[in-house]
Amino acid sequence: MFKELDPILHSQLRLAVMSLLISVREAEFTFIRQKTNSTAGNLSVQVQKLKEAGYIDVKKEFKDNYPLTTCKITTKGIGAFDDYVKALQEYLQVGR
Amino acid sequence: MATPDTPMSEQESLKLISEMIQKAKTSYHETGVSALLWGSSVFIAGVVTFLQIQYSFKLPFDIWLLVLLALIPQVIISSGEAKRQQFRSHDQIAVDYIWIIYGATIFGLVIYQNFVPSATQHLIKAEGWTMLKHSIDGTLADEPLTPFAPSFTSVFLLIYALPTLFTGLLTKFRPMIIGALFTYIFFGVSLFTAVKYDMLLASAAALVCWFIPGIILRKRFLKSKATNV
Repeated sequence: MFKELDPILHSQLRLAVMSLLISVREAEFTFIRQKTNSTAGNLSVQVQKLKEAGYIDVKKEFKDNYPLTTCKITTKGIGAFDDYVKALQEYLQVGR
Repeated sequence: MATPDTPMSEQESLKLISEMIQKAKTSYHETGVSALLWGSSVFIAGVVTFLQIQYSFKLPFDIWLLVLLALIPQVIISSGEAKRQQFRSHDQIAVDYIWIIYGATIFGLVIYQNFVPSATQHLIKAEGWTMLKHSIDGTLADEPLTPFAPSFTSVFLLIYALPTLFTGLLTKFRPMIIGALFTYIFFGVSLFTAVKYDMLLASAAALVCWFIPGIILRKRFLKSKATNV
């Protein structure tokens, strides 16, 4: 029986964001936007969904009078990402 | 990047994951400034100390103060770099920690080197004895001797190699791995050489551990900056 792929993660932009955040301790919103080639509006919506799922923490503050948003993966997010990758591997092994 | 709800196959998902992880890994480029500054200051201090011993002259100040002074611009540059950085990787944090520990260890060793000889002299004096320099053939009169740690530069060489090897292995940066391995060889050599040559070995270690890797890092950084413009 296959595990169902996590619908929160099985989306291009959200998966891209999670893959970036799994590799770093924390990252600024601008950095994520540049690396994912996404628009600020679209990324904001997806970041909010990840935050609501408890997969990432979003910190908003001011740096040199400019708003700064920093994202960080949570323990729950790491677990979900891990499960997602394992599930993907299962699918791919059977497909061979 | 496609819309968030574009359907993906399992292969596409895995490909995306590995692409993004790779992007995160290749996004950070060390500027090389700290390595260049530290490498050049230790190199100069070592060579000048060698010259002072070799040609029996003394500068009006301790040349190793230059190394401490070099820490000031390094702290300023590093904090500026940290402010400009848009993300912090796990490797980078581990590397920062090891260099902070290295700094504290070097500082501790300098304190040790400056305080232990006179403290030991006082302690043994309190026990009622003193250390003397005694000529074996009896041609020279005995002279009082201040206790000292023999070949102390060897200890510094070991400490130089540690964070360099750690950084090289963690970041897979071969020049630092090679530099650290050379420094372990210099350590072995320094066990048998006089202090003045130990100073040259310290200079050589500064070159291979930091200065040369620093040049390589700087070139890489400038290249990456040029491609990102």
